[in-house]
Amino acid sequence: MAEKIGKHIAIYGKGGIGKSTTTSNISAALAEAGYRVIQIGCDPKSDSTNTLRGNNYLPTVLDSLREGNKIHLDDISVKGFGGVLCIESGGPVPGVGCAGRGINAAVNLLQELNLFEEFKPDYVLYDVLGDVVCGGFAVPIRDGITDRAYVVSSSDFMALYAANNLFKAINKYAPTGGAKLGGVIANSMKPGYHREIVDDFVAKTGTSIAGYVNRSLDVQQSELYGKTVIEAKPNSAQADIYRNLAKYIAENENLVVPNPLGSAELRDWARSWGDRIYDIENGVVNGLAEAI
Amino acid sequence: MSNVIKNPRNGCALHGALQTVQEIEGAVPVVHANAGCGVINYLANKTVGNGASRYSGFATPGTAVQERHVIFGGASRLREQIKNTIKVVNGDLYVILNSCESAMVGDDVDAMTREIVEQGEPVACTLIAGFNGGSHYGYEHVIYDILKSIDGVKKNEKSTDEKLINIFGIVPEKDPYWQGNLEEIRRIFAGVGLKANLFFGVYGGVNDLVNAKNAVASVVFSRWGELPAKLLKERFDVPYISVSSLPNLASDERELIEKVSEYAKIDPEVKESFLESEGRYERNYLSRIRDDIFEYDLGKRTLIVGDEEQVIRYGKLFKEVFGARVVGAVLTDALKKDEEHETDNTEILEAVAENIYITSDEKDIEDIIKRSRAQVVIGSSLEKRIAEKNNVSLLEFSYPIYHRAILNQTTVGVRGAVEFVSDYITAVKQAEKEKSQVLHDYLKQLKNQNSWQGHTSKKGQVKQINLVSELAARESI
Repeated sequence: MAEKIGKHIAIYGKGGIGKSTTTSNISAALAEAGYRVIQIGCDPKSDSTNTLRGNNYLPTVLDSLREGNKIHLDDISVKGFGGVLCIESGGPVPGVGCAGRGINAAVNLLQELNLFEEFKPDYVLYDVLGDVVCGGFAVPIRDGITDRAYVVSSSDFMALYAANNLFKAINKYAPTGGAKLGGVIANSMKPGYHREIVDDFVAKTGTSIAGYVNRSLDVQQSELYGKTVIEAKPNSAQADIYRNLAKYIAENENLVVPNPLGSAELRDWARSWGDRIYDIENGVVNGLAEAI
Repeated sequence: MSNVIKNPRNGCALHGALQTVQEIEGAVPVVHANAGCGVINYLANKTVGNGASRYSGFATPGTAVQERHVIFGGASRLREQIKNTIKVVNGDLYVILNSCESAMVGDDVDAMTREIVEQGEPVACTLIAGFNGGSHYGYEHVIYDILKSIDGVKKNEKSTDEKLINIFGIVPEKDPYWQGNLEEIRRIFAGVGLKANLFFGVYGGVNDLVNAKNAVASVVFSRWGELPAKLLKERFDVPYISVSSLPNLASDERELIEKVSEYAKIDPEVKESFLESEGRYERNYLSRIRDDIFEYDLGKRTLIVGDEEQVIRYGKLFKEVFGARVVGAVLTDALKKDEEHETDNTEILEAVAENIYITSDEKDIEDIIKRSRAQVVIGSSLEKRIAEKNNVSLLEFSYPIYHRAILNQTTVGVRGAVEFVSDYITAVKQAEKEKSQVLHDYLKQLKNQNSWQGHTSKKGQVKQINLVSELAARESI
């Protein structure tokens, strides 16, 4: 493969956890800092770049592929906020066909169209659908397409479970040239034990936190306006959180191969947190303090 | 851990299903797969010499699935293909065959079939994919699936025909003699006044599938016929008889007819007269070869490579006619763990052969042949190289057989037995002739050169010396 133009970063995470919101805000922050950015939504829902382009219509790569006509880059891409080049891979209608193969075909097509040579990006962000359910969704971290992946996760067990699955995929593909992990983006953080759970998880799996993103009304509001926080509320504290996150991701070279937890190990770990949370919520006092 | 299998002789489930449907007169296969799946089966079978059926090879209707059908689903492409096929290809029944791609993508082939059936077209489908099993599995499951749905496609009131017998377990094209064998089975049943529902070949067709439920009984000649027979039993109360192999000797024919007569009405006089004539036929020809049996010492150490049914049949024949020692049997169709069938032929196999092996790996089979010190191998063309190398006579009777046209020749019934025995004796006689020729040439050379040196390679010399001592030993006997 020819030398890669720009840093190629894959962002994974369980469905509905805030991947697209986070990725779009990172893209917007990088663009704001003067970088040339491409964001590729690898999800059949094709809504990854909505907030970057004000919800305007954008034909997906696979829609164009389905038509069978010759495809030009202009047909499947549009410049959004800060000049971020937005692309959506798209996919089949729900319940039909193979979305995994679709992502594979879309990524191949973008390479054939010399997207990176033409646009000369500094950063390319791949926003990838939920769990790594099959080989197709591992394409962005395989075959040297990206060299780093981040995972967005809240402190919910199912989100961490999906993160652990991604770790398994990275663990499998990294030795043969696949991407390594840049870190976990802790999303929807609320006061209390939430940070502690994610911190414990990254410690157990030999990974690190790329940034904590608090749960914020600004995010919800901006989304409703069809914009990123960076665009809608540039002076908010939340915008700074995304800027810091983007800076970290842009500069971070500490890439690791994670040590995913085994199924039983993950279950036991979750159970131990279940007990601790119960105690915290109900004010149970354990240990030395018990004697007071 | 996966292993490399050298030259496996069986295709995938789709191939088995495809070659099965192709051999039913009036049935048209519609393959929902990429173009290669159907064509590779054709190319493999083309070398075998059974000839091509009507809709085979490049003439097989198919969706020729491409990447976009994988991504977006291939159901609408399938709909288009079925409609076009019905327009341009005349058929009594169209059978949609699923493939690995379509199964993995999850195309709703069943719904597509129902849609076309509702429009009044005779269409059936099977949802098995190539990766579900081998070609024998494909045969069994496609027949099962067709029989399961044919009632909804071709209306036919059940009315049992006391003379009609379903024939299951002869896998078209996997038994190289399937056409002749079916015809021979038909002849035997006709001899006692019964009708055989063959499904395949000259006398088979879609009507046999429709009438299968009207049979008085089914006969299952190998484990691969069990599933459709069971289905007919459960749905239409058609009883079935399982036998371990097709009949060869007159005694086998008698045993078969006696079993069938428990269900079908057979005139005792007709039965006796026919079976007596079969016995006469067998005695006449087999007594003609008694001199050859002793002169050529035909009871040799024998090893059989083939499908389970063939192994049992040929093994019994060799033991009974020639008193041969069957030192080994290699089953190329059997499964190490078969949880789908009730058929268990272990005891029969152990009675036939001294050692049983289950493999379709050419390398394993070559090693087995080498170790067995067999003098005769009944197998396929794939055993030719090792047989020549080890100076073993090879009788090519199991799949695949190259460089020979096999149309209506048979290896079952008394006629098949006589044909088989003739082929064996011919092979032994030819081998003897070649040995004599080598000896003759060698003696001639010795006479001309009057010297041991400089006239042949070391390997050739050793071979000649072995032959000389072998022939000398025989002369002394």
